[in-house]
Amino acid sequence: MQKKLVVLFFMVLLAFAYLIIRRAGINRDNGEAYKKQVLAQQSYDSTTLPFKRGSIEDRNGTVLAYSEKVYNLIVDAKLLSVDKGVHIEPTLDILKKSFAELDIDEIRSYVEKNPGASYKKYLKRIESSRVENYNKFMEETIAANNERRDSLRKDGKTEEADAVYDPAKNGIWFEEEYKRKYPYNTLACDVIGFVQTGNEGQYGLEEYYNSILNGTNGRSYGYLNADGTLTRSVKEAEDGYTLITSLDTNIQSIAEKHINEFAEQNRNAYRTGPAADNVGVIIMNPNNGEIYAMAGYPVYNLNEPQNMEGVDLTQYAGLLSKEDLAEAVGVSANSISENEIDLMELVTNESLSDNAVIKNAVWKNYCIADTYEPGSTMKPFTVAAALDAASITGNEVYTCNGALDVGGHTIHCHNRFGDGPLSVKEGVAKSCNVVLMDIAFALGKQEWLRYNRNFGFGEYTGIDLAGETSGASNVFTEKMGQTDLAVASFGQGFNVSMIQMAAGYGALVNGGKYYEPHLVTRILNSEGAIVKEYEPRRIKQVISEGVSAEIREDCKAVVMSEPEECTGWTARPAGYSMGGKTGTAEKLPRSAKNYLISFMGFVPADQPEVICYVVIDHPNHPDQSNSTRLATLLCKSIMTEVLPYLNIFPTEPITEKEREELTDAEASFFIGSNAVSDNSVSENSAEEEGGEASGQTGEEGEAAGEDNAMVPVDEMYTPNVIQYDPGTGFPLDPNTGEVLDPDTLQPIDENVKSDLEY
Amino acid sequence: MDTAREVRTARRAGGLKKLKKKTKIKGQVDRSLIFIVLFLIVFGLIMIYSASAYSAVRSGKESNYYLMSQLRATLLGLVAMAWLSTWDYHKFRVIAWPAYVVSLVLIALVLTPLGMTINGARRWLNLGLSLQPAEVAKVGMIIFFSAYVYGNLKNIQHLKGIIKTMALVALPSLMVYGITDNLSSAIIIFSIVYIMLFIASPKSAPYIVIAGVLFLMAAFVVYVIAHNIIPAELSYRLGRIKAWLDPEAYASDRGFQTLQALYSIGSGGVLGKGLGQSTQKLGFVPEAQNDMIFSIICEELGMFGALAVILLFIMLIYHLLMIATNAQDLFGSLLVTGVMTHFALQVILNIAVVTNTLPNTGITLPFISYGGSSSVFLLTEIGIALSVSRSIRMT
Repeated sequence: MQKKLVVLFFMVLLAFAYLIIRRAGINRDNGEAYKKQVLAQQSYDSTTLPFKRGSIEDRNGTVLAYSEKVYNLIVDAKLLSVDKGVHIEPTLDILKKSFAELDIDEIRSYVEKNPGASYKKYLKRIESSRVENYNKFMEETIAANNERRDSLRKDGKTEEADAVYDPAKNGIWFEEEYKRKYPYNTLACDVIGFVQTGNEGQYGLEEYYNSILNGTNGRSYGYLNADGTLTRSVKEAEDGYTLITSLDTNIQSIAEKHINEFAEQNRNAYRTGPAADNVGVIIMNPNNGEIYAMAGYPVYNLNEPQNMEGVDLTQYAGLLSKEDLAEAVGVSANSISENEIDLMELVTNESLSDNAVIKNAVWKNYCIADTYEPGSTMKPFTVAAALDAASITGNEVYTCNGALDVGGHTIHCHNRFGDGPLSVKEGVAKSCNVVLMDIAFALGKQEWLRYNRNFGFGEYTGIDLAGETSGASNVFTEKMGQTDLAVASFGQGFNVSMIQMAAGYGALVNGGKYYEPHLVTRILNSEGAIVKEYEPRRIKQVISEGVSAEIREDCKAVVMSEPEECTGWTARPAGYSMGGKTGTAEKLPRSAKNYLISFMGFVPADQPEVICYVVIDHPNHPDQSNSTRLATLLCKSIMTEVLPYLNIFPTEPITEKEREELTDAEASFFIGSNAVSDNSVSENSAEEEGGEASGQTGEEGEAAGEDNAMVPVDEMYTPNVIQYDPGTGFPLDPNTGEVLDPDTLQPIDENVKSDLEY
Repeated sequence: MDTAREVRTARRAGGLKKLKKKTKIKGQVDRSLIFIVLFLIVFGLIMIYSASAYSAVRSGKESNYYLMSQLRATLLGLVAMAWLSTWDYHKFRVIAWPAYVVSLVLIALVLTPLGMTINGARRWLNLGLSLQPAEVAKVGMIIFFSAYVYGNLKNIQHLKGIIKTMALVALPSLMVYGITDNLSSAIIIFSIVYIMLFIASPKSAPYIVIAGVLFLMAAFVVYVIAHNIIPAELSYRLGRIKAWLDPEAYASDRGFQTLQALYSIGSGGVLGKGLGQSTQKLGFVPEAQNDMIFSIICEELGMFGALAVILLFIMLIYHLLMIATNAQDLFGSLLVTGVMTHFALQVILNIAVVTNTLPNTGITLPFISYGGSSSVFLLTEIGIALSVSRSIRMT
């Protein structure tokens, strides 16, 4: 028996030994984790103080994006249930009065069921004014109840006094949060990007500068000190930095307004569907790389990026496979092939609005994220390279017979009959492919490639926006052949992005200095002090000053020559000298005869202060190869409004006809108002144009059918010389002789005029 | 009580140890045992105060509410202990049957309006003081079965006798389980008697085999639950097994207490955060002064404090073992064996639960956990052991 007892004792000892090992094991394996867990649990009384994300402003201080403090209504059922729940009903009454949308019965049943729970969010993101109203109401209630309690105490009715409702203990509190707001809704949506949740920027500036815009959360800790009393320690939040951008809200609005007009006017113009697959406009300063505006079509509301209601999505239908599209419009895939239903006819905005591919296409910035074959807008680059490399003198005369045989292929000019003998300048003005091919051959492959790279094609421009593409896989390399060089001379066979083109053009016309395109000019901290200032970044000298001047002359000839002598005269804003270049690029597959038309213009022609690049992809036009006028007119309408705003003075005579047009146009000018269009265009669409660099061209050789707008005779330009006031240089009204304001072309009051004289 | 009658009784019972000569009980009580017990009690009171002050204040009581309540029970228990230690332990044979009957009656009384519900469990009797009949039953069964086995030594060597004994212990066990829904106490009562039988019986093999079978059955139940063959939703006990296997998965409900206890143990480290410095007692470990007090000891005093407590209990059990092996007769041995088994089981099971070695079940840590009934009757058992120790002849 004693033996058994001893055995029993040893078994007990063994059990203890095992438990000690278990206990030590907990320390060894989980000690650190559990220590942290315990500390983490202690934070039950610590609250996060959210930082305020910095705002985004345009060059004039107009706020484009900001964060506003909002509140979440929290119910602390544990606190509410104290004193046997006497606070519940009065509190619910007050809540009902202040926040009518609350389901009071639901809160009541929640509190009854979970008397131990201390955190339940009931209302999200309430405006601060409503919270203030509630607090005011509460203060009044508290004051009144305190008075009553005190008077009851005085009368010795202690029990009754205790029963008086104390709303300070009601377990309702408000959690702070910030909500991102975009006061202009759709304005510059592709540039700004958006924040949906968690201060995580998506697209554009919001994504690119995410970490700079974000600050650091603060925290308020509550802890029990040695005496067991609750002590608080607060670490304030650090707010994020504010971005000052080079964007100009007015210019952006103007661009978006005209894009929208274009989209509306040309919808269903020839085929059922949108005006174009993509429309993009970049307006920038060639002398420092600052972007004034960058717009696409369609626009979406940054405040509700997921809500595609009212956004024109049909242009993106081509992004979906046939099956997906059939599903989206609610047709079975079989019935399409059987009945040959044209899906495009069935596509509606509603049917596409939930598709993730479509949404991403809307959010994407066409101006930086898509590449395409530029077409003839590339020609000045070729000429500039040849001049700068001294491969040509600029005095050559070439003969255009309407086509050129290159490596067994016949490559046509848009004018198949040929223009005869052409100087370099005339070749550019008439956008003659043959002249350009001859120039490219004189330049040679190596040099062409060198200049092409120097102008930044196939490389990131470094613009401070998320989602830029370099297009590096779609540019020519040393492997390019003679045919490739021939078509490359007029911008076919390789891809560029809009921002690459715009930045390159800046260098082309500003004296050869390549500036990095940029949006943010300054970064401010939350107190408004400058944290960082971005100087214009001049990256390189691509061509010489002299060559640049020659190119300006050539480009001026494109716009300012007699209409029958040039391709771009329709882009000319009344009263201004403009240089520019049209482009009509044939898209892949060539057999589809689809075109991407574009126009690059700069004003003034001799000393450019602003450039405007317009791209219209696959215009809805019966004769796309001759639709370049759509791009030039879009550029004209934008520039007509932008130039006076930028205080660029008109230097050219204005015809009677232009006068009338101008007066009509002025009626819808934005200038002077803060009105902001809520429509514009956005980004890309079908990548039907993959852009295999080399090898195409071939016999269908009309690779770059060129512009030459067909304008009815009565719309033709009729010269009408305008007189200028010798004192101010302001134009005079040809009928009345009054001095006109160059910005508005309205008669200037004599008093004002005297102020202006110098 | 006269010696002659004792001798007769012993003979009638076929006792192996015969009282050779007239005994005069004049031995000393085991003072070391008293010292260990007092040490544990004082330590327990300190820990109860530390663990309960916060939650007492939070629930609107005085910070020393639990301390004072425990102190009163402890003083009552100490009086009972002192009084019982002066008894000649043979008197317990006389009250064996009454102890058995009273235990059963008290358990049954829980069903009457005298029954009291605390924390959602109907386990108490309201007799002016609150009383947990299961605690009474533990003492009662130790006394009754010591006497019963002592009186039926021959019978318990046969299967029939064993079955009869088992039936006698099964009744109170099932009542504790059935009426007060207290599985852990039922298991403890059954185990105490089972081990007493094992000690008294000359055979070992059958007991070990049965224990092995029971263990395998338990393992089978765990296996079945772990592999979801039987849905754990059938009963909350099965759910506790689930929570035991993976406390993290049930962190917000069934596994909460266990997990929070583990957090306290783990966060205590080797030397602990210092007496009174536990943060887990601030509303995280539920009922920190009760079943889970060992976790607070671990957090405040670390591995070191936990080892010290375990060593004290080992010393306590060792002293009880010494008394049991040296007792004057088998009856005394059995009494102390029962007491020793009771202590060993409670300590082992409590620490096993706190360290999540076993599924969560309400077992208190003797002398340290808060609980009046438990304290009083544990001290009563010490009193019985002391009275046995007093009869040991010094050589």
